[in-house]
Amino acid sequence: MNRLRIFRKMFLANLKEFFRDRSSLFWMIAFPLIFTFIFGLVFSGGDQATFTIGIATEGSTPVTEGLIEEFREVPTFNVTTGELEGELEELKSGNRRMVLDIPTITAEDVRNRVTSKVKFYYSKGEGETNRALISAIKEIFSGIERGITGTRPLFQLEASPLETRNLTQFDYVMPGILAMALMQLGLFGVFQFMSLRENKVIRGLAVTPLPRETLFESEVALRMLVALIQTFLIVVVGRLVFGVELVGNLFLLAGLVFLGAATFVSMGYMLASFTRSLEGGRNLIQTVQFPMMFLSGIFFPIEMMPNYIRPVVRAIPLTYLGDALRQVMVGFPPKYSLQTNVLILAGWLIFSTILAIRFWKWE
Amino acid sequence: MLISVAISGTGGRMNKTIEVKGLRKYYEDVKAVDGISFSVDEGEIFGMLGPNGAGKTTTIETVIGLIDRTDGEISVLGMNPDNELGSIKKRIGVQLQSPSLFPRLTVKETLELFASFYPEPLSVSEAADQVDLKESFRTQVESLSGGQRHRLAVALSLVSNGEIIFLDEPTTGLDPKARRDLWTTITNLRAGGVTVFLTTHYMDEAEELCNHLVIIDRGEIIARGSPGELIEQHFPRRAIEFANPGFGERERLQLARINTANNLSFDEEEGRIIIYSETVAETLNDLFEFFQDTGKSLENLSVRTATLDDVFLELTGRGIKDE
Repeated sequence: MNRLRIFRKMFLANLKEFFRDRSSLFWMIAFPLIFTFIFGLVFSGGDQATFTIGIATEGSTPVTEGLIEEFREVPTFNVTTGELEGELEELKSGNRRMVLDIPTITAEDVRNRVTSKVKFYYSKGEGETNRALISAIKEIFSGIERGITGTRPLFQLEASPLETRNLTQFDYVMPGILAMALMQLGLFGVFQFMSLRENKVIRGLAVTPLPRETLFESEVALRMLVALIQTFLIVVVGRLVFGVELVGNLFLLAGLVFLGAATFVSMGYMLASFTRSLEGGRNLIQTVQFPMMFLSGIFFPIEMMPNYIRPVVRAIPLTYLGDALRQVMVGFPPKYSLQTNVLILAGWLIFSTILAIRFWKWE
Repeated sequence: MLISVAISGTGGRMNKTIEVKGLRKYYEDVKAVDGISFSVDEGEIFGMLGPNGAGKTTTIETVIGLIDRTDGEISVLGMNPDNELGSIKKRIGVQLQSPSLFPRLTVKETLELFASFYPEPLSVSEAADQVDLKESFRTQVESLSGGQRHRLAVALSLVSNGEIIFLDEPTTGLDPKARRDLWTTITNLRAGGVTVFLTTHYMDEAEELCNHLVIIDRGEIIARGSPGELIEQHFPRRAIEFANPGFGERERLQLARINTANNLSFDEEEGRIIIYSETVAETLNDLFEFFQDTGKSLENLSVRTATLDDVFLELTGRGIKDE
């Protein structure tokens, strides 16, 4: 009863301290929102990849016109036609992805089954995309060939994507921003505690009947409240401004947000217990926070990183929080199972709590 | 015989609110407090007087359980801080030196927060009134002046409504008026039956406020008693002071030979000469003669009883602020 009253007062005091401090408001609330807007605007063009393909024909015949038509029907291709030389110039200046040079093909040639040579030009580099494009083009040609010759295909591929929603790059990044916000809440949030410790406010409280656990509990409760505010703001901006729909269960999301916040809050206290001074703590925390932000794959897929960095990626908790939030918020295909994510986060939570207690410094 | 029994009986009923026996606190190679014993009676203002670094703060922080001790026994309100600290804290108010608080809470919010920690706190406005902080009620702590912050720290100890109030150098850094005001507050506390444990390095403060004081130096208690007793016991002489009319080395030597003077000192900064004497009338006579001989005029003459400053000088051979 008494304890609850003290907790409430202490919580309110922390709350006021937080909301009156511009720098904590910036890092915890404004910064994630700015990120949301920046990424939202950058990726708002939609990411349906299209490739501009130039097609040059020597002479127009019904057959070549038909070929061009076939290409035009492929949604990924943006087809232009023109003289070979002009199209090659465009390729060189980067305005075409590939140029096809189609000779004159008459109906007679088709009937006599004359092999016509189609050349295509592309710029070196970007190997994988080119390989994919080349095989797509080959596939289109063999489709046309089957149509003309009337051979029935031995295999028919039926693509049936399970995910009906069209996931954009922003869908990938938005849960990452929330993960980043929760990390900053935990790691930067502990600056407040460290500054109270350094300025001997904690020592001043130690001579009063305030139970020390209450001081700690009220700080953690405040962080959890801020975590919910961050989640709410990011989700609302994502939905209203950039049209990102939440697919997951809200309770599951809240659970993950609490777990993630708790993990990083306890990591923050752990790092704070490794140092005495505010300055030392700040340096240590920034050293941990910065690489984690970029190596966790919250902004771009882990596959884009070189192999030797993967073990680091797999060790840091933000990787798993990002993956779990992507699954639960926007239904992104999982990299790890939700269970794995939760277990590893919980493991970090327990590990850092133990170390925080072991090296704890009130003063 | 009967009477003395009756008196000691009354003394027995007088509760000792704090008892410290053989307290030692050693840091690696520094003996911050080296075997001190004292007791504080209920309702008195107990003072611990000494220069900076004498061990006053260490003593206070050990008694309230903020730091561990190397050796010794402590009892506060009949309880042992080792295992009943929680109960002790509810019944005492503490003002620490160099107070720090939540920077962005207002004075009122800070007082309310601290009030919530205690079972029967003083009203927030009353606590603020006592240290004259009412007009800064809505100011955030980070915008307070040093003196205001200091007064807030004192108010926070008062808001506990505790049976003992610990004040560690409560008037350091206050302007003279604020100091006087705080003295009144402290005197009022005693009138309300509260025990006050006060440390200070101001002699006048100890003299003005304390019924009972100990002088501590280099971790040891070197004298104890009421201010009057201490002066009487250690310094029965009177101080004869006058303005230095510009005496050079020669006159100084001659002055020193006045045979009724116990000793004399030149206060260069204030331009004064102080002669201590147990036989004031004779010394004054000698002094008048001396001035007649030199042809200088004797100005601003005063005769006063010794102060605790003089006592400290006598006991340690140093002024209290020489540290």
